[in-house]
Amino acid sequence: MGLLLLAAVAGLAAVERKGFFQAMLSRPAVLGPLAGMAVGDASAGLLVGVPLELLFLGAVNLGAALPLHEALCAAAAAGGAALGTSRYGLPAPAAAAVACAAGLPLAVAGRGVDALVERANDRLAARAARRLEAGDPAAAMRCNLLGLALPFALGAALAPLGAGAAAGAAAALLRAAPGLARPLALAFAAFAALACAAGVRALRAGGAPRTFYAAALLALGVAAAGGRMAQ
Amino acid sequence: MSLARPALWRSFWRCFFLQAAWNRRGMQNLGFAYAIDPALRALYPDPERRRAALARHLGFFNCHPYMAAAILGGAIHHEERVARGQEPPGSAVAYKSALQGPLAAVGDGFFWTALRPFAGALAAAGALLLGWPAVLAALLLYNGVALSLRVRLFRQGYLRGDAVVEPIGSLDLPRLAGGLRLGAAALCGLAAALVVRRAGASLGAEGWVLAAGAAVAGERALARGAALLPLASASLGAGLLLGVLSSRWQGGP
Repeated sequence: MGLLLLAAVAGLAAVERKGFFQAMLSRPAVLGPLAGMAVGDASAGLLVGVPLELLFLGAVNLGAALPLHEALCAAAAAGGAALGTSRYGLPAPAAAAVACAAGLPLAVAGRGVDALVERANDRLAARAARRLEAGDPAAAMRCNLLGLALPFALGAALAPLGAGAAAGAAAALLRAAPGLARPLALAFAAFAALACAAGVRALRAGGAPRTFYAAALLALGVAAAGGRMAQ
Repeated sequence: MSLARPALWRSFWRCFFLQAAWNRRGMQNLGFAYAIDPALRALYPDPERRRAALARHLGFFNCHPYMAAAILGGAIHHEERVARGQEPPGSAVAYKSALQGPLAAVGDGFFWTALRPFAGALAAAGALLLGWPAVLAALLLYNGVALSLRVRLFRQGYLRGDAVVEPIGSLDLPRLAGGLRLGAAALCGLAAALVVRRAGASLGAEGWVLAAGAAVAGERALARGAALLPLASASLGAGLLLGVLSSRWQGGP
């Protein structure tokens, strides 16, 4: 049931990402907790969604460019981490690290999905022109909505597969070597920190790196001062 | 003839489907024809005239999907004049051709590379501080701005036609975009600090040093042109390796 729900969430996200609305619902920060909720652990989904949001801050549809498919990656990784915690009882950071490693290739595979959808849409546009020529404007216009079917189907098929594989791999790994829980937690911390840096580089603004370091140092300084005062 | 409100709202609603069948040849052509269809149905009761009008809107079209609302409103404005016989049939197509490029540049620069990254960074940093309510707040903020602008652009396009450029210019979106990008950079910095603090709290000094090192080394590597996904995979691998080595060093499993 959980995987079916995840399939529905991932399919809708794949549609919302480009074909309909584009209201940020398919961004990892939003999709992560939703995908996690679908399989039983929203907080594990949020844990994964946050770094993926920053990692893919620059993944935008500009003109005909095909960006990395952040939604497919986020649905699979967040779903995988949540499955790992809810079904196998794994520690969340360790499950998140394995799920992110398994989800990243799907961001690249998603580009292939997008290219496939565009080719299918070429045929739909040609069919719409023929229907209009034949004097059936209503049928011609329905072709536009048919363009939503393929991204939904591919998103709904791939994300649960990725999530299941990620959760299974994490469970097998930690069963074979339980001592890896802490190294995997460290790996996830390194990944999350790198994602913050990737976010700032994606902004492509002159003063962005300086602002990034200044804000980070200020926040760390404030936290340290607050800690000393509390003592 | 002027359009009744329901036809206008139906067209506006359909502009959310502008990219449903995005294709390499006509790009948003089918989506644009789909969006303007309710207006054309009301303007051209004669089926042959409606078919001809739809056919001219099946030509190439590509714009930022939010900014396209202004062009959709303006194209309806022109089609009204065409239906009244005040303009030649090609005027709406010429209007679309003239505005799609400049408005795409404005929309990409503001929404895709400034407002959305800002909202994403706000959601991420906010989630690290406050949990999911911050994500919801960022989502509401983003859509409050984006949806109100889409409605406003459509309305201005419909009412003003060619003069829609003026109200868009007065929004001063490029200047706002610069501020949002710096705000997003500050939020990324805040998020990095929170990640480092959390790593320190849950994994000790080792976690703190590793996270801080990954943020700085990652930023430098990306500045030098490193590819994103290999670097992200490397950060996972390096963290895992250091963790294993450290466990061995401390006599762990």
